[in-house]
Amino acid sequence: MRFTKTPTASKRFRATLAAAAAVTLASTLAACGAAEEGGGDDEIVIGISLPLTGDFSEPGKGIQRGYEAWAEYVNANGGLLGRDVRLEMLDDQSSAERVAADYEKLINQEQVDLVVGPFSTRLVIPAAQVAQDYGYLFVEPAGAAPEVFEEGFENLFYAAPAVANDHYKLLAEHILAMPESERPKTAAYASMDDPFAQGTAYGLKDALEEGGIKTVVDEVYPPNTTDFSSIAAKVADSKADIVVGGSQYQDGVNLIVALQQLDYQPKLAAFSTAPTETEFAEAIGDKTQGIIAPTGYTTKADYPENQEFVKFYEEKHGEAPGEDEANAWTTGQVVAAAVEAVECAEPDPDCQSKLIDWLHENEVETVVGPLSWDDKGRPQSAHMIQQWVDGEIKIVLPEDQAEAEFIYPKPAW
Amino acid sequence: MSGPLLLQSLILGLLLGGLYALLAAGLTLYFGVMRVVMIAHSAFLILAAYLAWFFTTQTGLDPLLSLIITVPLFFAAGYGMQRALLSRLRPATLTMMSVLLTFAIALIIEGGLGYLFSGTQRRIQLGYSSASLELWGARIAVVKLVAFGLAAISLLALYLLLKKTRFGQALRATIQHREAAQLLGIDTDRIAGFGFGLGLATAAVGGTALALDATIYPSLHWHWIGPLMAIIVIGGLGSIPGAAVAAMVLGVTQSLLQIPMGTTWAQTVFYLALFATLMFRPQGFFGGRLAQRF
Repeated sequence: MRFTKTPTASKRFRATLAAAAAVTLASTLAACGAAEEGGGDDEIVIGISLPLTGDFSEPGKGIQRGYEAWAEYVNANGGLLGRDVRLEMLDDQSSAERVAADYEKLINQEQVDLVVGPFSTRLVIPAAQVAQDYGYLFVEPAGAAPEVFEEGFENLFYAAPAVANDHYKLLAEHILAMPESERPKTAAYASMDDPFAQGTAYGLKDALEEGGIKTVVDEVYPPNTTDFSSIAAKVADSKADIVVGGSQYQDGVNLIVALQQLDYQPKLAAFSTAPTETEFAEAIGDKTQGIIAPTGYTTKADYPENQEFVKFYEEKHGEAPGEDEANAWTTGQVVAAAVEAVECAEPDPDCQSKLIDWLHENEVETVVGPLSWDDKGRPQSAHMIQQWVDGEIKIVLPEDQAEAEFIYPKPAW
Repeated sequence: MSGPLLLQSLILGLLLGGLYALLAAGLTLYFGVMRVVMIAHSAFLILAAYLAWFFTTQTGLDPLLSLIITVPLFFAAGYGMQRALLSRLRPATLTMMSVLLTFAIALIIEGGLGYLFSGTQRRIQLGYSSASLELWGARIAVVKLVAFGLAAISLLALYLLLKKTRFGQALRATIQHREAAQLLGIDTDRIAGFGFGLGLATAAVGGTALALDATIYPSLHWHWIGPLMAIIVIGGLGSIPGAAVAAMVLGVTQSLLQIPMGTTWAQTVFYLALFATLMFRPQGFFGGRLAQRF
């Protein structure tokens, strides 16, 4: 990798510089030519920059589908404050420099009425900074890592149930509520060196350690790791009662298979993200029984808003929405709730600060349940916990949303 | 550090080293035959892995059977690539230009895989993917054993082919001194083409072995090319036994170092070994004068 990436990296950097220069020039020219483009009286323009190409293009497009579906839904139901919603979307090519320039352009030149966030922590932070500088409300669909909330943003709201460290909150509560004799005594953690993935595992680790469950393995691996047999050997050797993976996808799958190859049989196995992906069962086969994962969104949650969303989305796309689509839709809902409540949607700082204040003080009904935020924009809800039961992933916690009974101890895999 | 963990890590290291040896064999062969740095080797590995996955999902048969198709296919592709592309590069700048050319090929393969199969991460589902044998308290995964067996058989076959056959003699002669080989009546252009085809055929076997126990995606090859390059430099460019020994040593070292140091630092063993080799023994440990022995 080092052999090849170094020359390309510098080449890519040069290309980026050239592109940035070209864009700056182009946008200056555009600024001279075009007058104000903001929404007239009959429409509300919402500015968004998304990674439609580059590293984050897959999730970026999911977010795009979610925003578009939401706007269509709103317009089909009378619009916002009686005005049509129009989305003004730019492609930031997954670049942190581009995303800041994009929001600058949306707010300054196009004078959009509202802005909403892009995908991923790396792009959310620079975008939120620009929005903050202009006093804009900034609701974002994907930026769950702790850093997002440590920058001192007052205008930022994360439109999902919980930040990374709280993904396993319900599971931690459930484990610690077990009777002493059943409760696990030791735990092994393996997590990717990534703020989001590691945040999920370490959130659970902190809670369980506080509850007296001893950490016997704490492995962190770089994102490019593909061979997990050595990590699995350490976990198996520790004979930990439970294993927790702060994983994305391939790492989670490879680690699970490596653990199975070593015939390690924990009482509980929890992995973030990987088990909720549709390819998971295809990869692991019939050895999924009892594997646990937190999830920010499932089409099966029976909030009325969610049922409506799933129905609308399926009619439009012919398939169920994923988490990215749902997060974008949630973002739209949150902004809409604030707009309807304070009855304004204009670029002027007065209106924007009213929107911000309203969200700090109120709760919003969304497709992921009721959401409210602390003063840093952290949502105060919790992720649902899902578990693989008889070849299907089902909600097991919280109990009022559960589709199946929580299985513990996990049967052998 | 407990005894069983040490034994387990040693076994895992040996199995990993065997796979590294197979994956690196072709890479050192190209360099030996043609002084070509083949950046696309690992891309071809991933291509073979995808073909094995596609074969299994379409037919339901064991991925190992896909070798019947992919090995001849890759041999032909290698021959064609050498004759049509690499042999047209100017000898004076061959090594450098081959980096650019094969880099482009790697990007084309990666893009093609993404286009055909999307970026979704795939894994072959095998009935025996989590099966294992027990040995003195340690576990040996069947898939890793199969991959190791494939590596051992292919490397042995390659060795015998080069040592015992007329083609092997001609290939070695071409490696050692192209002009002298031509004077003896060897059609070195054709032989070089076959040598390249042979290298790519090992990629077909290696990729299939890799696919048995890995989750694959189009850009995975970037993770492999670095360590593989390090292995062939340490082993001595052009030396297949050198690459095999370096692969085993580095595989075991990496696996054992993971116990005290963790994954992040254990990965650096390849680069530390590479720097040390370049500083103290730049010709590698088995290369001697470039690739004269086998």
